[in-house]
Parts: sequence; C-alpha cells; structure tokens
Amino acid sequence: MTTQTLSESGRSTPQLSLRTVLHNAGIGLALLALIVFFSVFTEHFLTPNNITNILTQITINLVLAVGMTFVILVGGIDLSVGSVMAFAAVVAGKAITLPGFGPAEAIALAVVAATMTGVLCGVFNGVISAYWALPSFIITLGMLNIARGAALQVSDAQTIYSFPLAFEEFGSAMIYGVPVVFLVALLLVFVAWFILNFTVFGRILYGIGNNEEAVRLAGHSVFRYKVAAFTICGFTAGIAAIVYMARLNISSPIAGIGFELNAIAAVIIGGTSLSGGRGSVIGTLLGAVIIGVLANGLILIGLSDFMRQMITGVVIVFAVILDHYRAKYAAK
Amino acid sequence: MKLLKIAAGAVSGLAMLAGTAMADDKPVVGLIMKSLANEFFQNMMVGAQAHQEKRGDYELLAVGMQNETDFESQINAVENFITQGVDAIVVAPADSRAMVRPLKKAMDAGIVVVNFDVALDEDAKKQRGVELAFVGPDNRGGAKLAGDALGEKLGEGGKVVIIEGNPGADNATQRRLGFEDSVAEFKLDLLDSRTAHWETEEANSVFSNMLTAHPDIQGVMAANDSMAIGVVKALESAGRDDILVVGFDNIPAVGPMIEDGRMLATVDQFGTDMAANAIDLALEVVQGGPELEGWVKTPIELVTAN
Repeated sequence: MTTQTLSESGRSTPQLSLRTVLHNAGIGLALLALIVFFSVFTEHFLTPNNITNILTQITINLVLAVGMTFVILVGGIDLSVGSVMAFAAVVAGKAITLPGFGPAEAIALAVVAATMTGVLCGVFNGVISAYWALPSFIITLGMLNIARGAALQVSDAQTIYSFPLAFEEFGSAMIYGVPVVFLVALLLVFVAWFILNFTVFGRILYGIGNNEEAVRLAGHSVFRYKVAAFTICGFTAGIAAIVYMARLNISSPIAGIGFELNAIAAVIIGGTSLSGGRGSVIGTLLGAVIIGVLANGLILIGLSDFMRQMITGVVIVFAVILDHYRAKYAAK
Repeated sequence: MKLLKIAAGAVSGLAMLAGTAMADDKPVVGLIMKSLANEFFQNMMVGAQAHQEKRGDYELLAVGMQNETDFESQINAVENFITQGVDAIVVAPADSRAMVRPLKKAMDAGIVVVNFDVALDEDAKKQRGVELAFVGPDNRGGAKLAGDALGEKLGEGGKVVIIEGNPGADNATQRRLGFEDSVAEFKLDLLDSRTAHWETEEANSVFSNMLTAHPDIQGVMAANDSMAIGVVKALESAGRDDILVVGFDNIPAVGPMIEDGRMLATVDQFGTDMAANAIDLALEVVQGGPELEGWVKTPIELVTAN
C-alpha cells in the first residue's frame, strides 16, 4: 500500500515526470545548438575567460528569474523587480556608506537592508494582489513606479559610491574561474528547486497555478501562499541588488530599468507557463543561460545592436509558441 | 467624496500658490527640464533653485519629466506655463522636433523662450518660422576633447571602441560624432561601436563582450561617466590595466577613478550652472535686453588627473 501511494505521488509531481525531463532536455539541446554555433563562428566564444564573462553577466538576471519563477507558477507576474532591485540597492548603498561602521558590519548592514527592502516590497505586492484578488500585473506595475520613485527620492537621484574594499573583492572573486556571485545564484536555484519539488509548500504553489479553487477547497490558505511567492520574488530582487553593488561598486537609482522583462523572458524561455502551474526552476536556469549566451555570442559575431535586440525578441516569441503546443500536448 | 474634496482642496491650494507668484512684481521664469531621474538634470535643478535664492529678483517654476522619452509632459508644461502667463520659459527639450510647435505658441503669446542643453531641430524651426537661439554646450566638441586626450596617448593606429548613449538621442549622436572626429584626426583604428543605453551594468556586460571579441583594444570612449564606470569595472575583473578609458559628464563617482588613473579623462560641461546661466540670459531679454541669436556656447572643460 505504502509503495503504491508513493509512486502515485511521484507521478503527480510534474518536475519529476518523464515529460518534464524531456522538456528540459529540449531547452538544453537548444542551448547546446547555440553553443556549437557560436563556437564554430567565433574565435573566442569557448574560451575560459568568455565563459567567466557569460556567467558574471547572467547572474543578476538569474537571481531575479528564480524569484519570478515562484510568482509565475502561482499564475502571477511581477513587473516591479527591476525597480525594487534599484530601490534595495540605494537603501543598501546608504547603509553601507554610513559613517562609524567597520567594513564587515557595513556589509552585513547592507545585505540586511537590501533583502529587507526587497521582502517588504514583495509582501506589499502579494498582500494587495491576493487579498483583493486583483491582477498582479497592475499592482506590480504600481510597485514598479513606487519603488523607482523611492529609489530616486532616497538617493536624490545621485549615484552612491565608495564601498568597502572587501565588498568589491566579493563582487569580483572567482573560484576556478567561476564567479562567486554566480555560485550564490546557483545556490538560490538549488534551494528553489528543492522547495518546489520536495516540500508541501512547493507542491501547493504548483496546485494554486493549476487549480486555485481545488487548493482552497482542500483547506489551504491560497492568500498566504501567494503572498509567500511574491515575498520570495522581492527577496531575490534584494539579493540581485547586492550582486549589482558588489559587481559595479555603485548604487544607481536608475539601475535595472527593463530587468523585469529579461527575468520574465528567462522564465518563459525556460518553459514555465505564463498561466501558472507548469514549469521548473531548472528550466529558468537554462533560459537565463540562453539569453546570456545570445547577448554575448551575437556581440562576438559582430552583429549590430538592433539586430541583436530583434533576435532576442524572436527567441521569446518562439518560446511562447512552443509553450502553446506543450500546453495542448499536456492537456491530452 | 472625501477624496474628491481633498483633490479639490489641493488644486485650489496650488492655484493660490501660483496666484501669489504672479501677484508679485518679480518676473516669473518657467524652467522645463528632462528626466529628474538623471543625476545631471537633478543637479541642474538644484543649481537653478540655489541661483533663484541668491538672485531673489525672480520667481522660479521648475518641472521635470518621468523619463528621457516622456515628451508629452514637456509639451503639457509649456501649455501650462502659457496659461499661467509666465514671463520666460527656459527649456531643455526632450525631443528637438516635438517641442517646436508648443514653443512657437509660447513665443506668439509674448513669452521669452530660451532653448538650452539640447538644440531644437533647425529644419523644424524653419518649417514653423521660428527664430530661436540655442544656449548650450558643444557635445560634439566636448566628446572630441576627450577623444583627443585618448588619441594623443595612443598615437596613430591606436585601437579603440566607442560605448554609445541611447540610439536616436541628440546628445548621444553628437558625442559619437565627436569621438569619431578624434578617430579621424588621430588616425585611430575604430574596432567597434555599441550602445549601452547610458547604463553602468549594461556597459559592463557589453564592454566585457567587446573585449573578448577584440582583446587588443587600447582605448575606450564612453559617451557618459555612468557607462565609463561599467567599463572600468570590466577592465578590473579582466585584470587589464593597459587600456585607457575616457568618459563624459564628470559625475562625482568618477573623481577617484581619474585620480588613480583608472580613467584618463572626462568632460565637464558644468551642468549645475547650465540652467542658471540660461535663466540669466532669459531675464536680460525680459528686462529689455537684445534678443539672443545663433548659438551661445556654454563652457566645457577636459578633466584629467592633474
């Protein structure tokens, strides 16, 4: 009996089904094709330095996209992550440059300030949109403006600079050519993957995206889970702010304009359904890598900025068309 | 209902404020700027406010916009100023064509108009029959100053790349042309030229990729300092200290970089004083001085380590 129950629950787990594995393999193959293409047509693509560059460059988008995956899985969207990242960076920038703290304390203070700012914005997004059942598209559009305005207000529109040396070192540190900030992002991916696949919490998030009413009837508070999803997204925006600051050694109130779209693109290219309930954070990781490889490879090939933008757009449209057929197939 | 009342109260309060401003004998200057989210214009507005307090013989009404491309709100601001009957409008146009028509309307209403920072389009002016001077820096000449500093260091055949501002923005175009003038004069080898939309993080990524494609780059011309910072960070992570970087704007954050040689030079166009100077010129005309003509160039200066 026990065995049967286990296998049944195993089958109802979308991430572990054969279909999902095949699907991630599909994205992986697309990525592999891109890598082969750029390796053949450019001289420097497959060099250790360039791979380090790509990993550095995708880190912020990956961090934001991990949080975004949670929100999209429950059928929501968060348009505010770029602005929230800038707001968190400015608040943390103010904190880290406060006089009278040693480097270690200042950095700790900045990390707390950035993540708390992100979490508070996420809680706001979640509570408002879930309590009144309002479209998160609009609520987070509001937050996009609130957070951007707040970032400008707090910083007086000035770039904040001169952070402790140790913070700079963290931003540019490498372990065998792998940027430490990327390892932080990878850790987030792992934690998210674990939560989504191996905890009741994660299963319920998928359930909400598939059939909110069923989750409610089963006696779970949909409100609480939705707020949690948005809070996680806010938290990752705070982490992204730390990565931004460590990498560039400044806090700019105009940072992150349009980053929400890149994060959403990574999630969608990674095969998570915009209507919720289907997808995986591993797909998101692959989606972020695809976007980063395209941005890098198309420059190495020498393609113009405008062509580059067009091609990235085409890839997003293509991913959504694929998702349409995947949904049809899944419904059968 | 309550909300409506509050709104009504706020509107009448604003009207009263405007009323008192008008009631004074002092001339009223309407200042229209671009995005106050931009450090440069924020400082400019602070400079203008300080100037107003110092002079004290005029009233200042200042408006900015949400972002660099929000020209709708600039047009609305001109129309509001016409309705309020200001004596002068001092404007940094977000779009050099779209602003010509509303400004013509203001001039027809007898308002002194001074165009600063970005010049209105010559053809658009001709088409509307507008004669209007321009008060502002020579972005192209400024960029050439920075480019020349780089050219002198590198000499003939030096391999350079350009990091551009927003495609289509007038100052971005002028700065690119200025850099290209230096490239031509010093016979530099321009390997690549790409936009990073004025932004640090994007410049950091875009330049890292350019450096991978062209490891032999010797010099970088960035169209503003925010992007130059991104380039400097990319060079640090690549462990390269043999590549020279020039920027534009002289924002405080690049001060230490110029001092310790991570940047070769930047260009100061004294943005903090720019609006204030334009206001001075406008007030002279309001008080019966001669009309401005042609291009009144404002100072620019190359900033280097010593």
